[in-house]
Amino acid sequence: MAKDPILQVETTCGSLLYKNQIIWDEVGETETDRDKMLLELERECLEVYRRKVDKANRCRAQLRQAIADAEAELASICSAMGERPVHIRQSDQSVGSLKLELGKILPELEEMQKRKIERRNQFLLVLEEVENITNDIKGQGEHVLSKPPIDETDLSMRKLEELNCHLQALQKEKSDRVETIRKHLCTLYSHCSVLGMDFNEVVRQVNPTLTDPEGPRSLSDHTIDNLDAAVQKLREVKIQRMQKLQDLATTMLELWNLMDTPIEEQQEYQHITCNIAASEHEITQANSLSEDFIKYVEAEVVRLGEVKASKMKELVVKKRSELEEICRKTHMLPVSDSAMDQTIVAIESGIVDATLVLEHLEQHISKVKEEALSRKEILEKVEKWLSACDEESWLEEYNRDDNRYNAGRGAHLTLKRAEKARNLVNKLPVMVEALASKTIVWEREKGIEFLYDGIRLLSMLEEYNLLRQEREEEHRRQRDHKKLQGQLIAEQEALYGSKPSPSKPLGGKKAPRMSTGGTATNRRLSLGAGMHQTPKPNKKADQRQVQVDGALSTGRRGLDVAGLPSRKQSMNPCEQLQSPLVRKPFSPISTTVVASKANIATPQQLVPNSKSNAVNEISSFATPVKNNNIIKKLEEEKMMMMMQTPKNVASMIPIPSTPATISVPMQTAPTPLNNNNNARFLPEKAEVIEYSFEERRLAFMLQSESPIHV
Amino acid sequence: MSQPPPSAGRELANPPSDGISNLRFSNTSDHLLVSSWDKRVRLYDVSTNSLKGEFLHGGAVLDCCFHDDSSGFSVGSDNKVRRIVFNVGKEDVLGMHEKPVRCVEYSYAAGQVITGSWDKTVKCWDPRGASGPERTQVGTYLQPERVYSLSLVGNRLVVATAGRHVNIYDLRNMSQPEQRRESSLKYQTRCVRSYPNGTGYALSSVEGRVAMEFFDLSEAAQAKNYGTFATGGCDGFVNIWDGNNKKRLYQYSKYPSSIAALSFSRDGQLLAVASSYTFEEGEKSHEPEAIFVRNVNEIEVKPKPKAYPNPAA
Repeated sequence: MAKDPILQVETTCGSLLYKNQIIWDEVGETETDRDKMLLELERECLEVYRRKVDKANRCRAQLRQAIADAEAELASICSAMGERPVHIRQSDQSVGSLKLELGKILPELEEMQKRKIERRNQFLLVLEEVENITNDIKGQGEHVLSKPPIDETDLSMRKLEELNCHLQALQKEKSDRVETIRKHLCTLYSHCSVLGMDFNEVVRQVNPTLTDPEGPRSLSDHTIDNLDAAVQKLREVKIQRMQKLQDLATTMLELWNLMDTPIEEQQEYQHITCNIAASEHEITQANSLSEDFIKYVEAEVVRLGEVKASKMKELVVKKRSELEEICRKTHMLPVSDSAMDQTIVAIESGIVDATLVLEHLEQHISKVKEEALSRKEILEKVEKWLSACDEESWLEEYNRDDNRYNAGRGAHLTLKRAEKARNLVNKLPVMVEALASKTIVWEREKGIEFLYDGIRLLSMLEEYNLLRQEREEEHRRQRDHKKLQGQLIAEQEALYGSKPSPSKPLGGKKAPRMSTGGTATNRRLSLGAGMHQTPKPNKKADQRQVQVDGALSTGRRGLDVAGLPSRKQSMNPCEQLQSPLVRKPFSPISTTVVASKANIATPQQLVPNSKSNAVNEISSFATPVKNNNIIKKLEEEKMMMMMQTPKNVASMIPIPSTPATISVPMQTAPTPLNNNNNARFLPEKAEVIEYSFEERRLAFMLQSESPIHV
Repeated sequence: MSQPPPSAGRELANPPSDGISNLRFSNTSDHLLVSSWDKRVRLYDVSTNSLKGEFLHGGAVLDCCFHDDSSGFSVGSDNKVRRIVFNVGKEDVLGMHEKPVRCVEYSYAAGQVITGSWDKTVKCWDPRGASGPERTQVGTYLQPERVYSLSLVGNRLVVATAGRHVNIYDLRNMSQPEQRRESSLKYQTRCVRSYPNGTGYALSSVEGRVAMEFFDLSEAAQAKNYGTFATGGCDGFVNIWDGNNKKRLYQYSKYPSSIAALSFSRDGQLLAVASSYTFEEGEKSHEPEAIFVRNVNEIEVKPKPKAYPNPAA
């Protein structure tokens, strides 16, 4: 039981005061001094008290402040975190002492601060994640924020929830994009496979990050758009190529149909033609639309086209020969060869469509067939007439043959033939008349002339009639002459005695007969021989005969290579005397003849295909040996000239009137070797100065700068 | 217009407007001096791709070289030999030839400028005399023909002229050539360059061949170290060759026009390529002039013994 310290102090203070009194007493301080000192003492004591009280007051104030601060902070934290403050200070509430209050609030504050930090960390996490994903979505290389911003004033759960939602949305978007890209890449892969393109290359061009499946990929809008565009583009390419391939397949099928291609050949391309109606998404096989593959198919189509073209050509040629055959049989003039040759060339070079030509030919053929049909009757009659003419000429000869009544082998046959021939000859005028009238009717009906191998039948008949008349006249003259002779002889006999038998004809008689011989002999007359005709009346005949020769021989088309008519005619014995091999005096050798002789070398010319050619050929056939010599000479001349002055050969050789197949004189051109030879000589004569590029450039520059040169 | 591939290197801005006659890297920095037929010498800073200076001459500039980073020399068709001071932008005329001057080199060993001209002479000049009235010409040496190219290494000077003559001088005794040779190539000499190791020189001709020669004929019998070198042709290609293994190490993608000049930087890390029509086919329309500076990867220039395949171009 201790004494109350204040009491103790008070006691000590009193005792001290008492001590002081004693001291003062001893010292002898005055009352005033003692009072002053006591007052001072009081005052000092008061000071001390005051100080202490102030301190205590301050302490209390601090405490209050601390509490207030803590409460404020707590409030702020709570508001930031969106939570109700746990402790609300109420003025009336008496928690007790301030210290107690502080003691209560501080741990709460600590708690809240801790929670705030936790919450803040959560925020940081979420925001960082958001940032990451946003970057992923925006794409690499975009600016990365180093520190995501946090709004310190709102750390509430609500806000956190909000951010979480945002994060989830972003995550979804990212995964959506990844999925989109994945799908696009799949499609792209499929397209690339079909088109035979390099998938990795294509992807790399869209965005290099997409090629690496492991590494980070760009997910940006740009990338996705590009990817989408790439997919679209490839799809278009695929469609294009598919259409092209389908077109090719269609063409292929058409060609196969047209040409009846065997099934084995078609099998090879089955896998293409089966897709002919496929749609874009159905084509999935790798490389089925690659460029190489399409080229391969194209090549096949081209090849088939060429086969078709050649077949067409064959067809055209076939049709043409069919046409020619019909024409030949019915003695109509065929289409000129040169035109047809040109057409064939045109077909080959693709200028003219063979199908068109074929159509034309078909039309032509059917027309010709029609005409042939209408000509049939008349042609039969013409044949009869011609064979009658043959018999007529045979008869003529026979009649001239003095030995005809001699009994010999086959004499009875000839007798029979002669009788028949006489009958035929008698019917001839009627035949001709009938034929002529029929022809006129035909011509009137058709409105065109009836041509026999290019010559009007009626003219032929007319000529024949004229000839006949002349022959008759001739015969009459001969008979008269004979009569006269007979009379003369008789007179002579009467005067001088017997004379040689009148049956032996004078040499001279043969001559006129010869010249007016049958049509057969006329045909064989050469120009030279033709000139041998006797006087004036014959001269006219000559010219006509020459023409007729030409006409008839072309009509007959009987001349073959050997120069003999196709219908056998025995040569007039007298004619033989005039060797056709010897050139008759006064018979002209024209350059045309010379030139056409040169043509002999070329077999094409032997088939007469025009009137003028025929005339020339007759003459050339008549003197074959001469031809060879002349040809040889010509060739020699050619060679010599070529060796001297190659360029002048063309002017030296006479230009033939017929389409020349003379070998075109060699146009020699100086070979490069020649030029080099010349060039090589140059350095010896003149110095060659070398210049560097710079020297040349400078010279050029100065030239273009110089005002003299404009 | 053909686009050079992206691997052609960085294209310098403000290239010359007419043919490029030569370009050189400086020995001390990544500055590039370019002479051109548009009568100008240009100085480029390659690292910043900027034009640092431009000097107009009286005629086409046919060659140029550095003295140091502050000055260089240029020669051209106005027959003059000039020193140009870059920063100050001034120039002096050191002297003249009688005909256009085709080549210029600066010899650090002798402290002289060497020029070769179409007047069939090689002249030596002392650049220190340029600013004063004293004569700068140190010597003039008659050549058998017009000088087309020259190259310095150490104390040696190699002169290549028209008519395929090659003269080799010792700079310390220019009174007569150390060796007189004829190019082993059959066609006109285009360019001569000495090996950095001073053992010989390379000659190229308008045919497109390069001949490797040695100064000391006895050395030819020894192991020859040609090193690796680059050639550029009128076909627009730059090739890197391994002389020892006699292989082409690398071929850069085709440039738009003929390769008029090449220059390696001092550390060999950069190669400047002048893509400019060199008039080999006379006057004709051509791609515009361009200068490309490309990095030289070690793989491109490292010699390849026969075991390794060539890298894909």
